[in-house]
Amino acid sequence: MAQVPVQTIHRDPQLFYWILIPITVVMILTGVLRHYATVLMATAPKKQELPSIREQRSLLRGINLRGNANAISGPSFQARKDYLVTSYESGAFLKEPDKKGQAAPNPMTDPAAMEGMMGMMKGNMAMMVPQTLIMGWINAFFSGFVIIRLPFPLTIKFKSMLQAGVGTKDMDPQWMSSISWYVLCIFGLQSVFNYLLGSDNAASQVQQQMGQMAPGAGAQMFGPGVDPDKQFQGEAENLAVLAHHYTLEGVEGRLLQTVKV
Amino acid sequence: MASSLLHPPAHLAPSVALRLSQQAPYLLRTTPSAISPYSISSLWSSAESPELWTTYENLMLSCLRTGDEQSAHTCLERLTERFGAENERLMALRGLFQEAIAKDDDALKKVLKEYENILVKDPANMPVSKRRIALLRSLNRTSEAITALNKFLDASPTDAEAWSELADLYVTNGMFPQAIFALEEVLLVTPNAWNIHARLGEVLYMAASSETGTDKHLPESMRRFCRSIELCDDYLRGYYGLKLTTSKLLTTLSQSQVSRQSKGDTGLPPPDIKDIERLNELATAKLSEIVRRNTSGEAGWEGYEKPEIIAAQELLNRDAAPITR
Repeated sequence: MAQVPVQTIHRDPQLFYWILIPITVVMILTGVLRHYATVLMATAPKKQELPSIREQRSLLRGINLRGNANAISGPSFQARKDYLVTSYESGAFLKEPDKKGQAAPNPMTDPAAMEGMMGMMKGNMAMMVPQTLIMGWINAFFSGFVIIRLPFPLTIKFKSMLQAGVGTKDMDPQWMSSISWYVLCIFGLQSVFNYLLGSDNAASQVQQQMGQMAPGAGAQMFGPGVDPDKQFQGEAENLAVLAHHYTLEGVEGRLLQTVKV
Repeated sequence: MASSLLHPPAHLAPSVALRLSQQAPYLLRTTPSAISPYSISSLWSSAESPELWTTYENLMLSCLRTGDEQSAHTCLERLTERFGAENERLMALRGLFQEAIAKDDDALKKVLKEYENILVKDPANMPVSKRRIALLRSLNRTSEAITALNKFLDASPTDAEAWSELADLYVTNGMFPQAIFALEEVLLVTPNAWNIHARLGEVLYMAASSETGTDKHLPESMRRFCRSIELCDDYLRGYYGLKLTTSKLLTTLSQSQVSRQSKGDTGLPPPDIKDIERLNELATAKLSEIVRRNTSGEAGWEGYEKPEIIAAQELLNRDAAPITR
């Protein structure tokens, strides 16, 4: 069986020093810069006013009551339930009681919501701008270079990933183009940044994208565009239909069975 | 030692607090005073950790407890340098420092005035409003403290710390139904806190013994102690309370059979007298076991506090005396 001849491409060894290393160094430096830019641009979380704290915590109180009702006696639960359901339905805990029944404000016009979106925009910009710039820089100077040969064989499927920007049909997928090295750097430098900047750095693009895909559940609950009155009504209904079983019922028997001296 | 600096120091024994504050000058010299997040050197120095600042905060509290105001002030200054004077928690800490160095009531009133000024500007400043309530209490203005605390809880009804402080204030004023309500609120936030269950049992017991003739709270109190033991099966206070309540229940139930028919106001049937007897035996046995093993210093039994052990011993002696006679 004839051996498949190993493809050799004669490259200038200088390519290695003048493409591979500059791209890596630039990627690391932009990551560090991005981290500090994000730190500088971050605004302190906006302080909440007392009425809105009250609104949120009153709702949480209802949720607590619903979850832990079994810890208190039947009459105590009944009294709290009656109080909370009446107050929830009348809107006594609302931040603006006179606005009850109106539709939720458009999140685009609400200044408090705008603030949050601006923060998100800033984060996005800090990610997009350098990425575009570096991509352009690499395209302008280094496009079309084949820079290294990976020391292990790869199947043909990797060709599109590793040889972006090099339109050669017959080249072995082991060869790697400069743009692909850049893409690999984006995903591979996470541990370098962790080492340099600590584990909660803002340098990595991958992490930022993850963060956007799964925003915190807490933010959703009281976020802009959610009508607190509707939440209160829903919680009032949940409380009203809750069946109450007192934990202390039969606790003597349980205790006598479990604890032995 | 550093680990004990990372926990809130309220529960530290006085000796531990003293040891910590004696080491304060050394700690202050060795720990970094500030880590700038923007400097180049932060690239290779260790990253800033929240523990550092927790250490400062707790060290300051320990120093204030032992009267080392110099070190406390240094801690406060470093914290201020890092977080700015407008930080809510720091405002409260600075107030605490001023309270600690105040010589007389007039100086304390000045601090109180300051708190009120801060709160007028920013009523949502939770740490400072808590400090104000604590200061009102230490100035013996209990009713004002209760009013302020109720206002605080109206805005923040999920604060277990505030509810238990309110319960404590009500107990000192002898307002047991209110205290019971407040403790139930604490339980709604932390339903598995066995110490709160036991505390509620204690308050119910106090309510039962203060109102003569009505022992409707007593079964409830006993059950609270049962629940507390169910959650933590070597809790001394739970057994102590269980023994007290069951002994009392046994005497009252044997005196009057009427109360057996009446349902308690908790909606639960009255406990079976046999169960009470067995619970009483259980509590006695467990209490004597804890006392015996603790005093002989067995491994795994040394975590109890000395006064509680002595009280338990005393309760057991009280019980044993009539039998030997």
